[in-house]
Parts: sequence; C-alpha cells; structure tokens
Amino acid sequence: MTTTATMFTKPKPPNLEYPELYEFPAFFTRYHSSSSPQNTQPNDTTWAHQRSIWAAWVLSYCRAHKIWKLQLSDALETELFYNRNLNRRFKQRDAAELLEYMVTEGDVEWEGVGKATAIVYWRKPEEWANVIYEWIDSTGQKGSVLTLYEISEGDLTRNQEFHTIDPYVLRKALDFLVKRSLAQVFGANEEMGVKFF
Amino acid sequence: MGNSSSRITAQDRAILNMKLQRDKLHIYQKKIQTILTREHEIAKECLARDDKPRALLALRRRKYQEQLLVKTDAQLEALEKLTSTIEFSLVEKAVLYGLQQGNQVLKEIHKEMSLEAVEKLIEETDEARAYQREVSNLLAGVMTNEEEDAVEDELEALEREVLGARAVPAMPDAPSMVPISTETSEGAGKG
Repeated sequence: MTTTATMFTKPKPPNLEYPELYEFPAFFTRYHSSSSPQNTQPNDTTWAHQRSIWAAWVLSYCRAHKIWKLQLSDALETELFYNRNLNRRFKQRDAAELLEYMVTEGDVEWEGVGKATAIVYWRKPEEWANVIYEWIDSTGQKGSVLTLYEISEGDLTRNQEFHTIDPYVLRKALDFLVKRSLAQVFGANEEMGVKFF
Repeated sequence: MGNSSSRITAQDRAILNMKLQRDKLHIYQKKIQTILTREHEIAKECLARDDKPRALLALRRRKYQEQLLVKTDAQLEALEKLTSTIEFSLVEKAVLYGLQQGNQVLKEIHKEMSLEAVEKLIEETDEARAYQREVSNLLAGVMTNEEEDAVEDELEALEREVLGARAVPAMPDAPSMVPISTETSEGAGKG
C-alpha cells in the first residue's frame, strides 16, 4: 500500500498526464467571483470550471499512483496540489472545498468525521465489482473461496488494477456482487473470505 | 454473512481458515523480511563505528530470522498444497456426482429398452406386417368397374387372337414340328 510519507518523493508514473492548466499559476488560486466584481460574465475561469478540472486531476493522479486514501495534509505537499516548478500551491481550504465537492459527485468519501483523510474512488465501487468479477471469471475461480487479503495483496493479483485495493473499497465493491448473488462474504471481523458464483 | 440461505459449505469454511493462515504467514514473512534488512543495516552501522561485537550480534540475529523465514516457507508450501488438494478433491467430487447422474440416466434409458419391450416391439411389428399383407390381399380382390372392364376387354382380345388363329390354317406350326425328328438340325441348333 502507498504510504503517504513517501508519496511526494515518488517518480512520475508513465500513465500520469498533467492537465494543461497545471503549468498556469492561476490554476492554483481559487477563483472567487466576489474578488473581481467587475467580471460578472461567467466564463472559463469560473470556479465551477476550475473545480471540475481539479477533480479530474485528483482522480487521475490517484489512479496513476494507486492512492486509495488521500491524507489531505500530506497531499498538499505533493505535486498533486503543489507545483514546485511554479512555486505555486493549492491552499488547504480550497483543497478541502474541492474534496467536499467531489464527495457530492461520489468520487470521494471522507474517512471518519475529521475530514482529514479522503477515500478516493478513481473507480466507483460498482466498477471495481465488475473488474474483480471479470478477473474471477477469466481465471476460473468461480466457486472458489478467496480471502479479502488475497484479493488485494496476493501474488495472483499483482498485475491487476485492483492490487493493493483498500479493504474498505473492496468491501463496498463486494457488496455489489453480493447483492447480485454473484458472491457471498463470510467469516468474522478481520478474517473475511468471499466465495464467488 | 449470516445469510439464512447460505451457499457456504463446511468445506468452504475449512478452505477459508487455511487461506487465512496462509495470509498470516505471508504477513509474518513480510515482517521478517524488514527485520532482515534492518539487521543488515545495523551490522553495517556498527562496523562503521568499529563496533565489531555488535555487528556480529546483529548478523547472528539476522541468521536466526533467516532460518525462520525458511521454516515459514515450508509451512506455507504445506498449507498451499493442502488447500489445493482439498480444492481438487472438491472438483473430483463434482466429477463423480456428474458420472453418477449420467449413470442414472443411462439406467433409465436401458429400463425403457428392456428385452421384453424389444420383443414386444418386434412382435408388434410382425403383427403389423401380417395385417399389411391381409390388407393387400383384400385390396387385390376388390377391383373397380373400369378395371373389370379393362380385364374383360383384354380377355376378348385374347379370345379373338386364339379363335382367329384356329380359323386360319396354322402355317407356322407345321415346320416347327418337322425338325424335331432330324438330328442334324438339332446339332445345328446346339452349335
């Protein structure tokens, strides 16, 4: 699993593409319509537009680095919110507002009440359910019993997109399969297993 | 979990328990691996400080952990083998069940194809054939008027031929009688 401590020293993964605006200093400043009253026309620089680009950037960044949980205070130090070349960074308040917006879109879920850590769904749980079931089906594991640990950490899933999947996200994904009678989760507490059908 | 309509069997639970043990061994191995690296680093640091005894101690601890790692490897292998064996046995059981079902169906088919039934069928076929013959015979006896007329016409024609042949002197008959008594014509006929 990705530890947040080593996150900002990580090299750029090959599948990560920066948004064009990433090279623009203004991108790192939240647009306030009140701060520029002379500009009453909504245009491309409105917060809604800026926000949607930010949201997409957060998702692709987390996908590329396989980040399941984003710890906000750490993330602010990474290139996600901090462009060191430009010496520009996104303020904590703005980042929190951005994540709050992403919560309403279903892309993010706060972990706990402190709103310090966000679970990032760069794939929705239902998508994960399909990806995992696809893998189960194609590897002939229908009718087999697997541990949840095995799905996220096992050697067999090492080349799968869901390898290292967060246990919470995995449970949510499996719940979809359970609902569709394609899986049954059993066991106790931390020692869970799942049987696929 | 806790489903009343559970599709989880006792075997499934047994397999899960073994796999959970395997996971624990996996995690344990990860832990040992970090200790191994750490002890190595410690030994290096001690040597850099010229503290040979400590470095030796660290290396000894490292060796011990290494042995543990080898042992867990063996245990892991044993667990995985057992799990595979159980899973394979379940597959075998399924195959056996399939064979049993196939056998059952085959038996039922054979029951329907009993010798008695076959004999009866052949008997019935014979009867049917006899019946068919009877019908044919009956049909042969029944003729339409037209057919009757045709047959009568044919008879008349035949009578005319025969009676007409008697009215006219039978020319071809005479020579046919003659060569019977001569031996030469007989030999020529054979030759």
